[in-house]
Amino acid sequence: MSVVAKKTINFTLNGQPLSATEDTVILDAAKRAGVFITNLCSSPKLKPFAACRTCMVETVVDGKKELVYSCTQPVAEGMAVQTNTDETNRYNKACLEMLLVEHPLDCPICDKSGVCPLQDNTDALKLYNGRFEISRRNEPSIKSNPIIEFYLNRCIMCGMCVRACDEIQGVQALDYHQRGYKVTIGTANDEPLDCEFCGQCITVCPTGALMDLTSEARGLANMFTNTLSTCNFCSWGCTIKLETKKGQLVRIEGDEITLDLGINEGNLCAKGRFGHGMVQNSNRIQTPLMNVGGDFKEVSWDEALQTIAERITSTINRSGPESIAGIGGEKLTNEENYLFQKLFRSIIGSNQVTNLANLRAPYINQFLLKCFENGIASKPITEMEKADVVLLFNTDIPSEYPVAGNSIRKGAIYTSTDILIANPRNVVFKHESQVDVRMIYKPGADLAVVNRISKILVDRNIVDTAKAKAALPNYDEWLKSLSPYTAEATQKITGLEDAILVRAAERFGRPADRFILIGNDILDTGQGEAILMALLNLSVLVHQAGEGSVSIYPPREHCNSQGVNDMGVTPDFLPGYRSTQDAQALKSLAEVWGKGEMNFNQENLVDNLWENCSKGLIKMLYIAGEDPCHSYYQGAVVKDALKTVPFLVVQDIYMTETAKMADLILPTSTYAEKEGTFTNMTRHVQRVAPAILPEGQSRPDFDIFSDLAATCGKPFDHFSIREVQKEIERAAPIFKDVFPGKKSTQWVPDEIGHRPGFVVTSETVSEDHKESHPFKLVSNNHMFHIGSYSHYAKALVEIGPDCIAEIHSQDAQAMGVQTGDRIRVESETSSVELAVEVNNRSTQGTVYIPKNWEDIPINMMRNGEKGLISVKISKVG
Amino acid sequence: MDNPEIASEGAPVEQETALEEVKICMTTVHQVIDSFPDKSRRYLIPMLSKIQEKLRWLPDEVIKLVMTEIRLTRAEIYGVISFYHQFRMTEPGKYIYRLCYGTACFVKGAPIIAEKLKEKYNMSQGETDPTKLFTLEFASCLGNCGAAPMAIIGDDTYGTIDPEKTYEICDNYSL
Repeated sequence: MSVVAKKTINFTLNGQPLSATEDTVILDAAKRAGVFITNLCSSPKLKPFAACRTCMVETVVDGKKELVYSCTQPVAEGMAVQTNTDETNRYNKACLEMLLVEHPLDCPICDKSGVCPLQDNTDALKLYNGRFEISRRNEPSIKSNPIIEFYLNRCIMCGMCVRACDEIQGVQALDYHQRGYKVTIGTANDEPLDCEFCGQCITVCPTGALMDLTSEARGLANMFTNTLSTCNFCSWGCTIKLETKKGQLVRIEGDEITLDLGINEGNLCAKGRFGHGMVQNSNRIQTPLMNVGGDFKEVSWDEALQTIAERITSTINRSGPESIAGIGGEKLTNEENYLFQKLFRSIIGSNQVTNLANLRAPYINQFLLKCFENGIASKPITEMEKADVVLLFNTDIPSEYPVAGNSIRKGAIYTSTDILIANPRNVVFKHESQVDVRMIYKPGADLAVVNRISKILVDRNIVDTAKAKAALPNYDEWLKSLSPYTAEATQKITGLEDAILVRAAERFGRPADRFILIGNDILDTGQGEAILMALLNLSVLVHQAGEGSVSIYPPREHCNSQGVNDMGVTPDFLPGYRSTQDAQALKSLAEVWGKGEMNFNQENLVDNLWENCSKGLIKMLYIAGEDPCHSYYQGAVVKDALKTVPFLVVQDIYMTETAKMADLILPTSTYAEKEGTFTNMTRHVQRVAPAILPEGQSRPDFDIFSDLAATCGKPFDHFSIREVQKEIERAAPIFKDVFPGKKSTQWVPDEIGHRPGFVVTSETVSEDHKESHPFKLVSNNHMFHIGSYSHYAKALVEIGPDCIAEIHSQDAQAMGVQTGDRIRVESETSSVELAVEVNNRSTQGTVYIPKNWEDIPINMMRNGEKGLISVKISKVG
Repeated sequence: MDNPEIASEGAPVEQETALEEVKICMTTVHQVIDSFPDKSRRYLIPMLSKIQEKLRWLPDEVIKLVMTEIRLTRAEIYGVISFYHQFRMTEPGKYIYRLCYGTACFVKGAPIIAEKLKEKYNMSQGETDPTKLFTLEFASCLGNCGAAPMAIIGDDTYGTIDPEKTYEICDNYSL
């Protein structure tokens, strides 16, 4: 939006005429032209620093010769650049030579060997015999934290880790200490590292000074086998490099091999990088298991599949196909989810398929479709670093979408992105933007915040309201629905001064490229639908009446929460969001599947799946890779339902709480053992590739569904992932050409902007303050955990061992509670006891507890209520 | 310079109040922080110097307070403090013994003085003697080479020290 047209500069590099945009430094321009200039401290991800002094080049401008550092000197018109001259080599060599006085040459046992810039530079400058006496440091390696080893003897003080920690991660856990000869890099007082453990410092380190302790393999990283794939934790969809050695998965790094591939630019978070312990783990389910009178007995795959097939047939005969229901997996690939719904719709004849996100919040898909109807297709998320304004709505970025934080910080540095944060907690998000509007509102007041911003945009004419009125049929009705949100009324509900919201509205409404990221926390408020639609209305308003663009993405929790819905694992939609009631869509799908007529006029039992299970209407339930007992927001309801279901099949990696209730368990493979695609929350379809063989007798879900279809006597007519992808392209044309090879793309709807209009609701913020339970419980994923699997990753448990509640210091003072004390948090139905941390991240009147610990089941605290849980807190002991 | 001792008046009184501040007074720190126009990282160094002026050193509690007030991380603030040798992270002795180790003083016997101090007070460069009377610091040059070897003890300057009389000068000071 605020893009200033940059001039093109013509210059020559070693005699070859080249051009580059203004402000490009010589080093980058040369890199693009394929000319290598020695350097150690430069990274495209970081600001120029010029610490290593090994990138000197010779430039001639207007006949004047200069020796400059290419990492900081921009190209100029008519400049003649010479690299590798005798003179520059002499200087560059001298600096490198001095680094090699201290740097040990223990290359054969160094992690970086082969991928080491110091090695490459030494070789490039042919620096085989240094003139100086070798004087190596001999300090012990520092292993005071479980993740990152500091072996400072190899450190060359380039400061890449310090800058990455600051600029990319915003954590600043590392810095230079002391000075002169004594200077070292590390934490304050050599205290154990206490940070977000993103591992960005390990990646940028040009020597092996920082190492990944979670990996058992040491030395010669370039001899590992690399498999490029996609991370399976949150919905951000980082591209990763799975590194294997002798058939073992030894390490995960961000994919920096493929240029321009990946929305994360090689950045990862703790979960993505160090969570590989969940892949090869002896706790995994090794064989199919059958529940025989309460004990699980190992059975063969044939027997297991035969049992399921027989059960399907008998259930259909006895109670009809609609009594068989299935829950697809948010961590299964697109192809697997497609086969899952095909198994149900085509072979069983049941439309009773859903997924946990859809079960809880079917309105998220409606929201996505409403965006399309309004012409908001949303840009690819790779564009976010060029955004003018980013609104982070009720999302704790470092825990929920950590790598999104990296892109936003990059935008703040290079594009001066405005950052607007609306959250009921005072979440930590450090960045370098000049504009940081913090809207910290009372828990549950989300709706009022959004609607007030919309109202300010209209009332103050920040956007062209006449345009909106002309374009949107129900403009007046919508505007009327905003009338309760006056400055005073909003302040009363939200506790926010109007000036803050006005500032936010001004930054948001100005001509800009806007991005909105929404946290899954809004679902917990019980008003998820109304809040999403309010955010949609806000976007529609600026889309129609403001200059620039708006991109808004639905909140998604897991790696394929988007894809499971795209593939039609919902009772409302066939693959590609075509209605199950759409005769035309059903007909064309039936053709693709080689079937006669298909219709699903059966009662929709899965919208209220758990109630219908408890009522006995569901006779068989097939859960593919989910653990609703622990992860569904109402735990008690799920447990009751699963106890009642006559036949429960659970397909999973680990013996989850849900699996323990199953009649039959099928062991499946992790993402590192299978092929397919994940679709991230911004609709990027990205490749998942197998790096190792499946554990034990486990099989990829893809194979299980195919085998089950065959066992049922109706084998699928495709065998490979590619064949299924081709079928998906035919079944749902929006996926035409999106299945990736090397490069991933965002799928776009075939019809857009065809039904503009606001979604008007009359819902208001309800204040249900209970005297007996004065606190509101806010819960979300912990920074180091997500879902049920991360607790099997040793490294993640080591850095995030305990579930710790957070309360505000004033609440703590009133109760006489200090950090480290134990508290009891009681709702009307249940209670948990845990340690507490007193800080000012939580706001007054709220208690935050991460939801990832099985022994602290937050979802059991809910008593049928959909909104925030009211709790009381007391000190234990 | 006949009289090597140039005593600054009023110093003993100040030092007595300093002694009373064994218990760190956080209000003082708050006052210092509040005396700056805003709680910005640009005032970090003047803030730390002022605090050290009052407290003689920077205890961990104080560093933590400054850190949260101006929103720095622990690594950053320690990075700055450890860069400047003037900032002290351990409690110094009652008097700072600044021994000049410049070329002139070195030649004129500063190492002998240092050796003697080590012998009697068991303190090397940067260390505090066990009774917490002195903290020995080496200075690169105190700018008075004509009076080599020289030292500044507390607020008193001594020039042309006879290394053999090292202890006599020290005896002027007591806890």
